[in-house]
Amino acid sequence: SPLDQFIINNLLEINSPFLNLSTLNFSTFSLYTLFVVLVISLTFILSIGGESNNLVKGSNWLIAIEAIFDTILNMVKGQIGGSVYGRYVPLVYTLFTFILVANLIGMVPYNFALSASLIYIIGISVSLWIGLTILGLFLNKAVFFSLFVPSGTPLPLVPVLVLIELLSYTARAISLGLRLAANTLSGHLLMSILGNLVKNLMSINYFTFIFGLIPLAGIFAIVILEFAIACIQAYVFAILTSSYLKDSIYLH
Amino acid sequence: MPQLIPFFFLNQLFYGYLALFALLVLVSWVILPYLLQLQIVRLLITKL
Repeated sequence: SPLDQFIINNLLEINSPFLNLSTLNFSTFSLYTLFVVLVISLTFILSIGGESNNLVKGSNWLIAIEAIFDTILNMVKGQIGGSVYGRYVPLVYTLFTFILVANLIGMVPYNFALSASLIYIIGISVSLWIGLTILGLFLNKAVFFSLFVPSGTPLPLVPVLVLIELLSYTARAISLGLRLAANTLSGHLLMSILGNLVKNLMSINYFTFIFGLIPLAGIFAIVILEFAIACIQAYVFAILTSSYLKDSIYLH
Repeated sequence: MPQLIPFFFLNQLFYGYLALFALLVLVSWVILPYLLQLQIVRLLITKL
């Protein structure tokens, strides 16, 4: 089944006769979270080590990391601005690099797509939403609720608009994560289904093998598109987080 | 869908948040200060 690629297996089980420690089991998912952290830290360590250590112009890898940093910095500056945007750069940078690396690792054949795990990704977006609401209440106190009343609304329409705005604000908690998880999930399913289809077609006889090269080129294009989606979705997640941060800090 | 088996929910959340927190610490204490220092050094060299 195309869904087999998302199966989580326990690699190392922790058992206790007294407590249920299944939460701490080392599973496929845990292994890939470890991979993501290792890839990000090793890329940085290797890019600043060796001959390029302590040079003003670093290695090409460091330039790549700096390009990502500049992109995130400018994005957060553009969205939040003011004198406080610097505080939120580490959070947005972490989310962006984590999702980007997780998506790209998932694109390597026979690897596990971390960001297709709906529970985890929606868990992150719900946590972010709760955090942003607390931040907004902490910074703006009761004025925070003016977020639900667009300026210039006629008084009779206020109750209806508050309900609609409240709904749209609450939906952010799910939509932020669902967007990423659904994109990754559908992309991986599509590649798996089409790949199997073409494999079956090409393995019938010589004629279908030659004929099958045409849809194979189409699948190749879809794989390239998925690579683009992997990067774009990480960027979208980061830009939406900054936009929601702006809403919490400045209210509109 | 295999990723929606409730047995693995807490496992996913535990390791996922752990990794994200570890990365946040690494980014805010090591990576970003290094990049910022590099940019300040460059700024000093070009403006001096």
